[in-house]
Amino acid sequence: MSAAVGPKGRMSLKYALLGLLRERPAYGYQLGERLQERFGPAWAMNSGHLYQTIKRMKKEGLIEDVDGAEHDRDDRHVFAITDSGEAEFQNWFEKDLGGLRLLRRPLLVKITLAGPERLEDALKQIDAYERDCAGQLKEFSRQRDEIPDEDLRVRADHVLLRLGLSADISHLKAELGWSRHAREMVSWLLNQDAVWPGRRQRLGSSSEEMRDRRSAREELFGRIARRQLRPMQDGSDQDDAV
Amino acid sequence: MPARGYSEAMLRLENVSKRYSRPDGDRVALDNLSLQLERGTIMGIFGPSGSGKTTLLRIAAGLRRPDRGIVTYDGERLDQMSGAERTRFRRREIACVWTSRSWQEKLSVRDHVAMPLLVDHCGRRSAERRTREALLACEAEHCVDMKLGELSDGERQRVAIARALIAEPRLLLADGPASNLSLVEQEGIMVLLSSLAREARVAVLITDSNAEALLRADPILYLRDGKLVNPEPMSELGRVYRLPSGGSRRSAADA
Repeated sequence: MSAAVGPKGRMSLKYALLGLLRERPAYGYQLGERLQERFGPAWAMNSGHLYQTIKRMKKEGLIEDVDGAEHDRDDRHVFAITDSGEAEFQNWFEKDLGGLRLLRRPLLVKITLAGPERLEDALKQIDAYERDCAGQLKEFSRQRDEIPDEDLRVRADHVLLRLGLSADISHLKAELGWSRHAREMVSWLLNQDAVWPGRRQRLGSSSEEMRDRRSAREELFGRIARRQLRPMQDGSDQDDAV
Repeated sequence: MPARGYSEAMLRLENVSKRYSRPDGDRVALDNLSLQLERGTIMGIFGPSGSGKTTLLRIAAGLRRPDRGIVTYDGERLDQMSGAERTRFRRREIACVWTSRSWQEKLSVRDHVAMPLLVDHCGRRSAERRTREALLACEAEHCVDMKLGELSDGERQRVAIARALIAEPRLLLADGPASNLSLVEQEGIMVLLSSLAREARVAVLITDSNAEALLRADPILYLRDGKLVNPEPMSELGRVYRLPSGGSRRSAADA
């Protein structure tokens, strides 16, 4: 799951890896584990992507393999940061993040382009998304609760992982709220005789019907609302009050 | 101008208890329960069957008297009225939508909806006009010439709400108004009830065994063994976490 808002620029994986290798050298596969252990579950990724990045970083001379052994797979090599990698990391660390990039939700694009015929299908996808968010939220909250409490000595990595998890948790809470909102809006829209972009507007009996319903509702609900402002009276004269 | 004594609280239950005696011993239906329902709001209460939902609605409707506790309706003590007083009062002020499968299937929607008016000696013509208006407001005007037995589940609920609204009540009590409906119909009913609360300022109390069917209500409370349990967490995540797996919900495609 990607962050709802994040810094511009896509290379934060590179810097995350450089940062981890600054602390100590690691096997390729260890880096994948360590990303999640340190930054939280949002950093789960497929190993292909990870090793591709590692390969590129090696080619750029930012990291080197230090075990000297012959392996055909990068995950078996031990990597360490080079001087040029260190310089790159320092340079990145001092730079500003460069503004925010908002999340583009594929689900929102689907809803927006569903059109009246597919809106009900979109609703099912919203439902699934909502369940997904709730499930992950539960899981991440559990993970956060499982981080041991500090006793004698504060462990910085525990504190900071808690911070990482809380980033994902607050994001998921927001997504959950949004998807609930989306579900309400879309279900409501389903019941409306709405005008859709690119569609010819239906006129005639159906909008007349809507108008009748609306005015009946205004009339009846308005009368009931006015009742609220009067002290209670005996029912006998109520029927003629219209 | 609001009348003197106007208050936002429409219905108030204070420390209400109710037991039923059964051959196998007493059963507690409501246990020292308090709640306040305000004008223009929809309160949703969910809980398993036997949790006391129906008893709560019956007491709120003035159909039953609590063993202990106070029931106030817009400042009037419902629990102290005589049976006849309560009946008169109820007809004027409170509408109930029960999950009734015991409708007379051959009765026409027109007569069914107009019944409360006809009982109240309203003129035929005025009754006809108000029936049409209530059905229109509930988007069920196309059902007016149908028999009750011919209605779909969604139409039944809309007709039931139209009938409840015809006497222009200030409190609406509904037992599972959106249960057994498709997602879309469910939403349609909840939209209707929320505009009833918002525009007519009616206080609405709905119950369901499934929290999902109450999602537009606010607050949503959980009733268990006659007590309201920990309503706070329902506001945020609790709503989703507590959802039963949705056995009663049919796919939206059935609509």
